[in-house]
Amino acid sequence: MSDAMIHALGLGVEIGGRRIIDGVSLSAARGESVAIVGPNGAGKTTLLRALAGLLPSEGELDVGGYDPRIIDAVTCAQTRAYCAQKPLSAWDYRVRDLGDILGDPLGYADWLAKLRLGEFSGHRLSELSGGEQKGAHLAMAFAALAEPFGGALLLDEPAASLDLSRQEAVAQAVFAFAQAGGACVVATHDLSFARRCDRVVVLSEGRLVAAGEPASTLTPAIISGAWGASASSVR
Amino acid sequence: MAGCVLLAGLVVLALSVGTQGFGWGDGGSLLLLRSPRVLAALAAGLALGIGGAAQQGVFRNPLADPGLTGVFGGALFGIAVLLGLFPEAAWQRAWFIPAAAFGGALGTSALLTLIGSGGSSSRLLLTGLGLNAFTSAGTLVIASRSGESRELLTNGAYGDWLGMATLELTWLPVVLCLLAALLLLPLARSLDLLSFGEDAARGFGCEVGSARRKAVLLTALAAAAATCLVGQVAFIGLLAPHLARAMVGPRHAYVLPLSALLGAGLLLGADTIGRGLWPQAPLSAAAVTAILGAPLFIWIARGRHE
Repeated sequence: MSDAMIHALGLGVEIGGRRIIDGVSLSAARGESVAIVGPNGAGKTTLLRALAGLLPSEGELDVGGYDPRIIDAVTCAQTRAYCAQKPLSAWDYRVRDLGDILGDPLGYADWLAKLRLGEFSGHRLSELSGGEQKGAHLAMAFAALAEPFGGALLLDEPAASLDLSRQEAVAQAVFAFAQAGGACVVATHDLSFARRCDRVVVLSEGRLVAAGEPASTLTPAIISGAWGASASSVR
Repeated sequence: MAGCVLLAGLVVLALSVGTQGFGWGDGGSLLLLRSPRVLAALAAGLALGIGGAAQQGVFRNPLADPGLTGVFGGALFGIAVLLGLFPEAAWQRAWFIPAAAFGGALGTSALLTLIGSGGSSSRLLLTGLGLNAFTSAGTLVIASRSGESRELLTNGAYGDWLGMATLELTWLPVVLCLLAALLLLPLARSLDLLSFGEDAARGFGCEVGSARRKAVLLTALAAAAATCLVGQVAFIGLLAPHLARAMVGPRHAYVLPLSALLGAGLLLGADTIGRGLWPQAPLSAAAVTAILGAPLFIWIARGRHE
């Protein structure tokens, strides 16, 4: 375990009698960014939710010294933050309200600015595009951990549906978070983003296919194995 | 902020509507006679307003309202069962009737949560509609079979109980209304977080299960206590939160207290209009609420689509 911020051993998830995640082990150290990649239905989202302790799972799990499946929600929220692929909101809050609800309006405003959404602070969520709404929820997740150091951030497709400049802003935020001493695990379809992460975990049909540095995991052989032969031409 | 000024203004408004009511009597002696009624209307309206806001928050559904989802129906049904089975014993202790109402409200809340939540918005409302129809029918069946309680229960179904408010009958439900409201206020942040979905709520440190149970339990308590005071009143639990959100935005830290005050003002206003305009044959608060509330509600519904 030593320096690992996130440590999962033989993690398995079964939903409705179907095995979605099967014996996945992975770890992320402080200061590390880890990308989870794989084809549609590989189990990326389920793995991320299991790591966040939001799903019942079997196997060993340790996030920042706690097992998020059994620790109380308040303590857990101090060690790991999670942002869903499609965050939702039943009510039409103003963007800045999210920071108040979180209880850290300043930290939230700071991350909002880093994601280039500062100008929308006074807008209602319904006035924003889907990508901008996602950005507001991402800022909430970033700000949820008061100090990146010693925290784990779990993001599901953070840059999907964002325009290019905001995609880059999100990538920079992820790397800045990791550099400050946090561990950031990102489920993504974006292989060029994955190549910039410290480590990559390739998932296929709920199993770990490869894990390690981008250069050794995102090879044509592994990509065509996981995604199918036609995908190997994708760089 | 502006919200706080509005809150203060509404308290004054609710109070002044009440005092105008005193003035229409035949002198100061009526003050003592009517104050329980005014108090009951204020407390019940408060509970209805905040209960509606809490139920909408916990079900993440702007149309959830204890009147539409059958929780009031359940409360009245609970009272009907008690009166039907033990017509004399029911009045022996002050807490018997509130307890029966709470049991009924809790029963329908539990069924609503088990059957209706987790699915689409229409599933929740259809479940509520079914529960409401069932409990109303049950109440009427009991009412038609029990001679002495018949008029009482029919009046309850029409929301016409405020007229018989005495301090003796109302003190406990009034205290319960206030208690439920006070205990719901600290749930504001949980209700905000719940609006982002279960994963996000838990991710940000909300114990989803316990927050939900608390909110459902306290909403049932508020609905039960309010039912003991007025009988069934629709629309307040729906209107007060909608007006509150239109005034201060959707954050529950503001919506909950403002809905409580708006609810108190609306019910007291409706009751005052009902007996002020037709002193000889007063209209029930529920009738006035529906007459004034329904068009307002349709107007809100139209606005949501535009």
